[in-house]
Amino acid sequence: MAKRKLDEINAGSMADIAFLLLIFFLVTTTMEVDAGISRNLPLKRDLPVDYIPPPVHDRDVLIIMANSQDQLLVEGEFMEIEDLEEKVRDFYLANQDGRDNDIKMPMWTRIDGTIIAQEIAKLKDAIENGPENLVQMNKDDLAKWEKRKIVFDEVGPYSEISNSALIQLKNQSNTSYGLYIEIQNILKKVVNDLKREECNRRGWKNFDDLDPEDDDDAAKLEMLQVLVPERIIEAKIEI
Amino acid sequence: MGKFNKGKTRAVPALSTASLPDIIFMLLFFFMVATTMKEVDMQVEVKKPGASEAVELENKDMVDFIYVGFPTDADEGTQPRIQLDDQLAIDYTQVAPWKLSKAREGKTVFDIVTSLKVHEEVGMRIVSNIKETLREIDAVKINYSADKR
Repeated sequence: MAKRKLDEINAGSMADIAFLLLIFFLVTTTMEVDAGISRNLPLKRDLPVDYIPPPVHDRDVLIIMANSQDQLLVEGEFMEIEDLEEKVRDFYLANQDGRDNDIKMPMWTRIDGTIIAQEIAKLKDAIENGPENLVQMNKDDLAKWEKRKIVFDEVGPYSEISNSALIQLKNQSNTSYGLYIEIQNILKKVVNDLKREECNRRGWKNFDDLDPEDDDDAAKLEMLQVLVPERIIEAKIEI
Repeated sequence: MGKFNKGKTRAVPALSTASLPDIIFMLLFFFMVATTMKEVDMQVEVKKPGASEAVELENKDMVDFIYVGFPTDADEGTQPRIQLDDQLAIDYTQVAPWKLSKAREGKTVFDIVTSLKVHEEVGMRIVSNIKETLREIDAVKINYSADKR
């Protein structure tokens, strides 16, 4: 039996359909990738009214002020943005060896098994028997010491920058967002550099190759968070 | 008797366009892969600052965007304004209810990152107000949008 030959389907309009789709996608989509600097705002905590915060030493605080004319004042001295990175790095590393090299920069403390055990026992006791209104704060502190314990269990005794060391950012109403991001970027860069160095020193995988999806790498990232703490507080805008 | 018919001109065979769709489809797929859908129609102009440490934002379904910039519509004035979804907000007090309304199935506001896309010349006052409101409702995960340099 002879087969009837099928007529070829005319594909001429196919191009038109594809063009239509193409133009639709060109119009509704954008090329840009979304990138940015991630930060966590401090959690809202209701402090008891009669609570007196522990004294903060001047040396433990790095104050970065940016005014409405986009000028920088760091520790009360006028500074160009180019010099900020070095200053922040110095803030972290000046007394890294545990000696008092620079009395204006925060001290480093040695963390070992005894200190961790002591602090954890003290905080647990305070949570159970201490005043009710401080429980939440003590729990936060306990969580921090438990993280330190994890690091200690992994790497042994280590040094870390003073517990009260922090960087304070102050802005004015008209400080430009561009300058603010520049400062944030520098702070992030210093911390990332220090984490890179920490990884190298401990013979871990490269910091940039650590993958938060991987359990082992995620644990390392958690530990780096303790070894190179990122403590930034932002003051309310006054003017 | 001549072999060549000199009178008529010979017709040029039609150019086959059968492969044209393939080429167009290739272009189409390229654009589908390389681009992302626009989230909203921009009511404000945002020129993002640059930052060397910026990292790419992953899982964009789990991110809310707040735009702050100068209105493109001249009737809205020249002061920086906040855009939430497709609309300009009157002021920062609208941010909290908007953010709370964006909560997703099984996620709390705490888990959903808020990305701030702010024009680099905008003053810090408005940004600071937004952050303060977000903190009040425990939406503490923030991403400062910036172009990677």
